[in-house]
Formats: sequence, structure tokens, C-alpha cells
Amino acid sequence: MSIIAIKALVKDYDVNGIAVNAVRGIDMTIDKGEFTAIAGPSGSGKTTLLNIVGGLDYPTSGSVVVGDRDLSGMSSSELSDMRLNNIGFIFQAYNLIPVLSALENVEYILLLQGVSKKERQDRAREILIEVGLEKEISRLPKDMSGGQQQRVAVARAIVSEPEIILADEPTANLDQKTGANLLDLMHELNRKKNITFLFSTHDSMVMERAERLIQLSDGMIASDEKRR
Amino acid sequence: MMTFIKLGWRNIWRHRRRSLVVISSIGIGVFAMMFSAGFMNGMNMQMVENTISTSLGHIAVHSKGFQENMKLEFNFNADRNMLGKIDRTPRVKAWAPRVKMQAMVRSSESSRGVMIVGIDPGREKNVSKIYDYTRKEDGSHFITGRNTDEILISREMAEKLDLLVGDRLVVMLQDKHNEIIGTGLRVCGLYETPVNSYDRFVVFTGIEKLQSMNGMGANISEISVLLNDKKDVDAVKSSLVAGIDEGSLEILSWKDMAPGLVRSIRLFDTMMFIFFAIIFMTVVFSIANTLIMAIMERFHEIGVMKSIGTGPMRIFFMIIFEAFNLGLIGVVAGIVVGMALNFVLSYTGIDLSLYQESMRVWGTGSVIYPIIRFIDIVNAVIIVFFTTFIAALYPAVKAARIKPLEALHFI
Ligand SMILES: Nc1ncnc2c1ncn2[C@@H]1O[C@H](COP(=O)(O)OP(=O)(O)O)[C@@H](O)[C@H]1O
Ligand SMILES: [Mg+2]
Repeated sequence: MSIIAIKALVKDYDVNGIAVNAVRGIDMTIDKGEFTAIAGPSGSGKTTLLNIVGGLDYPTSGSVVVGDRDLSGMSSSELSDMRLNNIGFIFQAYNLIPVLSALENVEYILLLQGVSKKERQDRAREILIEVGLEKEISRLPKDMSGGQQQRVAVARAIVSEPEIILADEPTANLDQKTGANLLDLMHELNRKKNITFLFSTHDSMVMERAERLIQLSDGMIASDEKRR
Repeated sequence: MMTFIKLGWRNIWRHRRRSLVVISSIGIGVFAMMFSAGFMNGMNMQMVENTISTSLGHIAVHSKGFQENMKLEFNFNADRNMLGKIDRTPRVKAWAPRVKMQAMVRSSESSRGVMIVGIDPGREKNVSKIYDYTRKEDGSHFITGRNTDEILISREMAEKLDLLVGDRLVVMLQDKHNEIIGTGLRVCGLYETPVNSYDRFVVFTGIEKLQSMNGMGANISEISVLLNDKKDVDAVKSSLVAGIDEGSLEILSWKDMAPGLVRSIRLFDTMMFIFFAIIFMTVVFSIANTLIMAIMERFHEIGVMKSIGTGPMRIFFMIIFEAFNLGLIGVVAGIVVGMALNFVLSYTGIDLSLYQESMRVWGTGSVIYPIIRFIDIVNAVIIVFFTTFIAALYPAVKAARIKPLEALHFI
């Protein structure tokens, strides 16, 4: 059963009157529980694709269905609700709210969802322990390493158990080893909780760890292979 | 909600110095407001107190018409019955009868138009402060009896007329037959009140002396009544009105007798309010400026918050709370410091003897004791929160409208 269905997706940006074709006709479906990497060189359209799937950007044409929601008919506040309740985001860097501790950053999502304080704290703590940050629970982002910050971002993305987690080059600012660990963590969570992961990368180490690898080139799919 | 208040609070302290600048500008504004309000209130209060203690009393019984036109014909007979009623009225401290009329005083040097007041010295001491304001050295003393040929004049008038204690002067007035009569009286003493206009114009003699001069017999112009507490004025006035039901009389409170004073106090209050509003217009810009800077710096972060599903209303309130926190600290600091200073000054007073003459024109006395009223604090809080809200509105809307995608690009 597909959880993301993309049909004839096109996205043009208007840069000073000149159309830039960021995505030029993409069709693909992602099934529940997949662990998929979108690879491709810089400028190939990875970020644009993820932003549209996450409801942060609108397509020029084509359709995107996430779960049973057709994004093209949704208002910005409906999209905001979808991002809160159905999708977890991990960005490249500076994911966290600087004035909140690790625990509070993770709690934040649950707070927006209206979960009670007690439950919020219990769940956030549990997830942080799961991602190996027991000791860092009350630290502020500035007092954590880049890898630890990304782990908090993963914890925050996962804590509300969304259908999909979108991660745009989550390891780009990390060294090889830290990046590999982060990816292993994501993969483990993917298997344990059966949450769909869709992440972009141009790092071969990350690509190796994906179960499915979709290569983009110039806004189009160049290859799509299942690896496991 | 709590978390957004907390967020607003913590965000303030990310730029400690910048926030402190805003907080102190609010604090100084509030402080200036408390100080000038305290000063103004003190001045108003002293103006009122001095006017009451020199001339008005709290309540006066007059013949109808006397208040508009101080003519001799508006006199009345205060019989035992009426005086007894005043005496028995609760919360009345003292009363004194007076005869008041226009006259001229002439010395060998010059002459002046005056209001001559015939008093019962014993009773007058309990009602007005003229006795306290009378010099008791160098032969100067208060009127000693109801029918002596003494006259009490102000120090200023003595200078103008070139008179010393013990000198004689002539009082000319129109008696009840409209005849001009002149009587020689001896200056028994000099007085000086804080109310300049009063000193220029008023002289005192014994009540029976004046009655015999003008031919009115035992009739008087007013009964001045002093209460234990000024705030009972309206209540006591109504019970006096109910008790003394003579159609030809009217009973007036100090507010009725000095509408100009009441009006000018109200005008002062309005002026203060406008003045504060202007001060806080500048505060608006300082707050708005700081918030806009803060939002620019946190552009990416607000983008992240919106990306992960924070609605625009919540972002809006986060910024509003941030402004409120700034305003709250500022207003509390300003009030605490302002109250402390006012508290100290309400004992020591602010000595303006350097400007003595101009202070006398206002009738306040040369030492001002500031007074802070509850309403001043309420005003300060309202003005600060109102201005902070106005200042925060634009930045908050701006922040709420940040497009997550654009902000994410911006690191
Ligand atoms: N907001 C934008 N405005 C204009 N052009 C953009 C914008 N975002 C992306 N692009 C262009 O679209 C193309 C794809 O960009 P992007 O999706 O960011 O690629 P990737 O993430 O694979 O590096 C690039 O040519 C880029 O310059
Ligand atoms: Mg990209």
C-alpha cells in the first residue's frame, strides 16, 4: 500500500522572469515502512521534491498524495496541521529551538499536539534515551555536538510517531562516522516502529545504507532500485 | 500557552544587553511618570489644603447669592438653633462665623482695595490656619477679641502700605445705608500664608467690630465648617442641607466654592496623561525596533518552528509575550524605584524655596510632599501594556507571516 504517490510532478521557479525547472516530471510511489534515499548531485531537485511532499512548497503541476490526502487541495493551515501530525522533519542543520533544552525541543511537538504535560515528558525522555542522549536531556542545543543535535532532531521527528519522516541531507554537516551512526539509528527506528523514511543525500556512505535508492538528475528520475 | 510565555521569556535573555536597554527605557519612563505624578499630586493636594485652611474651610453656610456676589445685603442671622445643629452634626470638627466685605485700607502712604473679614478669634483658630500663619514675635499677634480695634494684615500688604505693627490705618467701607464710613484701626499683627493671592487681598478684624462698622448688627456672612476628614465633605454637606432647611441659605462644599481649583486639578491630570502618552510613544519605537531585530535574527528558527507545524497564531503570541515580558519587567522596576523615591520624598519633601515666590503664586507652599495614588500606578501599568502591545503588533504579525520555506533557506 503506497503512502506517498507522486504523479507527473513539475516545479518551476521564476527567477527574475526566467523559469528554472527544478522538477521536470516525476512519477513515483513509496510504500509504508520503506527506507528510501533520494540521491543526486547538487541542484538535481532533491530539496524541492522533499519540500513539496512535506507541504512546504506547492507544485507547478502534477499531484502528490500523502496517506489519503491530496495535497493540491489543501490550504496552508491544513498543510501546517499535516506537518504537525503526520510528518516528521529533519533538516540539514539548525533544526532545534535554541532556547529550549533537548527534552523541551522533543516535547515541543507533543505540546503543539496538545498532549498532557506528564505524558509529554515521559515520551520525550523515553525517545531521547532511545537515541542515546540520556545524559544530554537537559542540555541546550549550543552545548551539544552536531551529531547530538541531529539525534535530538531525529527524536523530535519520531516522538509523535508520524506516518512519514522527511530528512533533507541529515548528515551533510556531520563527519563520516557520526553520519553513519545517525543513519543506523534512523534505520533501526524505521524497522522497530515501521515508520516510512524518505531522505536525500549525495553521500555514497548514506546511499549504501538505503533499502531503496532513487537517483535524480536534472529534476527527473534517473534510476530507481530496491537494494534489499 | 505556558511554553510560549516561557519561550518569550527565554528569548529576551538571548540578548541581555539589548533587552536591558529596552527594559530600562520603559523603567525610566515609568519612573519619570511616577515621579512627576507624585509631584503633581502633592502640589495639587497642597494647593487644595492651603486653600481650605486659609479661606474656604470644608463647608460654608451662606446666604443665597453671596457666593456669586459678595454684597453686604447677603447676610443672615445664625441663631442658636442653627449653630446647635451644626455642632451636633457628626464628623464636624469646628465652625466659625465670619463677616466678609469689600473695603479700602489707607495708610499715610497709599491705599488698597481689600476684603475685610470679621472673625471670632477663639473659633477661627480651630477652623482656619490664619492664627498659625500669624507672626508671634516683635509685638505681632493675632486678633485678641471680637470687638477690639485691631486689624491683622499680611506681611506683604504691610510692605506695600509701608506699615509696621502698632501703626494705625483707616478702613473705609459702605455701611448698610450705603454711606461710606471710615474707621481707624491699629495693626496688631502680620500674617503670611502660602497662597499669594490671599495675602494680597485679605485683612482681619474682630467680628463685632466689623458688625458695628457696617451696621448689620449680629448678622453674619458665613459660617465656615471644618470636618475631621476632608473625604466626608459630601456626606456632611447633605446632612447639613437636610438639617438647616432655611430657604434663604445655601450650603456649599469647598468644591462648590472653588470650581476653578477643581477644574485646574483635572486639567493637570489630563496634561500628565498626555505627557506620559508622548513619553511612551518613544518607548513604542524602542520596543518595536528591538523586536524586529530579534525576529530578523531568528528568521531561520521561526521557519523551523513553522515547518514542524507551529501555527501563525502561536508565533504571534510568542512575540507578544516577549514584548509583554519586557514591558512587565520595565514597569515593575519603574514602579518599585518610583515608589521608593516618592516614599522617601513624602517625608523629606522637595524643597523649592529657591522658587518661593512662584510657588506662592500657585498657593502650594515651598516644600512639596509627593503623593502617589493607586490610580497613578494603574495608569502606568495600562499605558505600558498598551504601548508594548501596540509596539509588538507589527513585529508579531510579521513573524506570524514568515514563510517557512524562505526562512529555512536563511541561515
Ligand atoms: N526558491 C528557489 N528559487 C529559485 N530557484 C530555486 C529555488 N529553490 C531551488 N531552486 C533551483 O531549483 C533547482 C533544484 O534545486 P534543489 O531542489 O535545491 O536541488 P538539490 O536539493 O538537489 O540541491 C536548482 O537549480 C535551484 O537553483
Ligand atoms: Mg538540497
